[in-house]
Amino acid sequence: MKAFLSKRTPGGWAATIAIYALALSWLYPFAWMVAASLKPAAQIYNTGLFEGDFTLDNFAFLFATADKLDRPFLGALGVSAVVTLTVTASVLLTSAFIAFALARMRFPGRKLFGDFLLLQMVIPTSMFILPLFVLVKQMGLLNTLGALILPSMMSGWGIYMMSQSFRTMPEEYFDAARLDRASLWQTVTKIVVPLNKSIIAIVALFTFTGTWDNFLWPLIAISDTDRMPLSVLLATFSKQYGGYAGPVMAGAVLQTLPLVLLFLLFRRHFLQGMSLSLK
Amino acid sequence: MTMRWSREAVIGAALASAYLLFTAVFWAYPFFWLAKLSVTQWRFFDEPVFTGARNLLLTVQDPQFLQALWNVVRFLGFYLPIAFGGALIVAFGLQHVGRGKAFVALCFLLSNVSSGVALSLVFAKVFSSTGPLNAMLFELAGVRVPWTNDPTLALLAIALVVAWKFVGYYGLILYSGLLAIPKEIYDAARLDHAGPWTRLMRITLPMMNPQLMMVLTFAILVSFGLFTEPFIITGGGPSDSTSTPQMMIYETAFRRLQPSHAAMMSILVALVTYALVQLARRLFERKVVLA
Repeated sequence: MKAFLSKRTPGGWAATIAIYALALSWLYPFAWMVAASLKPAAQIYNTGLFEGDFTLDNFAFLFATADKLDRPFLGALGVSAVVTLTVTASVLLTSAFIAFALARMRFPGRKLFGDFLLLQMVIPTSMFILPLFVLVKQMGLLNTLGALILPSMMSGWGIYMMSQSFRTMPEEYFDAARLDRASLWQTVTKIVVPLNKSIIAIVALFTFTGTWDNFLWPLIAISDTDRMPLSVLLATFSKQYGGYAGPVMAGAVLQTLPLVLLFLLFRRHFLQGMSLSLK
Repeated sequence: MTMRWSREAVIGAALASAYLLFTAVFWAYPFFWLAKLSVTQWRFFDEPVFTGARNLLLTVQDPQFLQALWNVVRFLGFYLPIAFGGALIVAFGLQHVGRGKAFVALCFLLSNVSSGVALSLVFAKVFSSTGPLNAMLFELAGVRVPWTNDPTLALLAIALVVAWKFVGYYGLILYSGLLAIPKEIYDAARLDHAGPWTRLMRITLPMMNPQLMMVLTFAILVSFGLFTEPFIITGGGPSDSTSTPQMMIYETAFRRLQPSHAAMMSILVALVTYALVQLARRLFERKVVLA
């Protein structure tokens, strides 16, 4: 197989071309989404991918007309942004310090704490949706942004991932920090964070994506359209006004764009963090 | 106690406690409620009334719930071959392309880190009777496939969408396993005149057992957690053929307002998931030992 697949033979070339073709075809749904969002409704289903009279009408509809149908997309974009940025910032900050404690500080019960994090990760979070609803209802947070932010402020997974990476740092860095009488804040922000950018980028990327695209929880916790994040508003809009294929696809583009941009921005850290030697 | 804690121990324990406090509120307390709900009758507003095993008996006899669990098994029947086949192609592809590795990996990974909600809406259109997939099939083969109207095809469509999303990620996991196989083993096999098929079945796949097990575990977890894709693309239809346990829990708790019943479902689904993962490990896990 190696000989057949090696690049110099015609078969090897064919395999290379096939893999590139397959990789590009994986992007087809994105291309179709963007194309459909830019076409008038009558042309979405009966023109080729790059044919048609491209226009921004669908986006204009989303921000101007949808408001009158009680679907405030601009507001939803704001809700998604506020919730996602707050959760991501909070998870990164708390994970970095708690992971530093777990990986590098001696305190009673440290090993037990690590085992507990592992145990927590084994139990599927989807089990907790219903009782979490009960809790948030008791706290009087239903239908508020707090319902979307508070339960996700810290992440056991984030702490665990970072601590695994912090553990591999050479002790000399910390000896030097101790000699300089560096504070905890200085040690984490000046030494630990710059040396563990890849893992922090991964935790940031997955937290951001998971929060931005969370669907089931906000669907349950938020019922007012003017407090819905984009993911839920878009799905309910599509359910009720399915005929508006163009605006739905425009909304899908808005929902996807930040995630794609972030992924492309962090791609090097991401691939590195997945411990790959991609050259 | 007269034991003095060092400054380091105090700060470390304080940081850990901050997380434990958070966990007590948003993890342990819900956990307690779930256990309580599962053995009581409650409708969100009244006082919970203890009913013992009644919820359990109701749930295991609920035909819609059993159908949803069975749908996961049917889903795995489609999903596992597609996901493993695709992931192996990605892994071998990455090994083969050399220079363009990063580009190929990014193409396959983009679906994994982008929006499930948005892409489900896109696929609902792509698979629709007048959608681009049917237009293409009609031009090539003269057929139109009723993707979302047939119970089996609808489930296949969902499996294709979920596989599209995860194949890149699974492929990367397998690729990291491929990299770890020592080249000397292949050289020795070639001396023994082992053909490509023998090398694949006797060396490559067995050496990748830890990564293959990881992918299998993730695939099982994903299957039991399905919600967004079937909810948006098929809505569970036709006639409950694509409804999933998570959709059942959502429907039961928030549409039919029977949270006690739904709590029992959550617990049973978690137990079935765990049992299936353990069964898969028993059946397929091998220790890889290099002598």
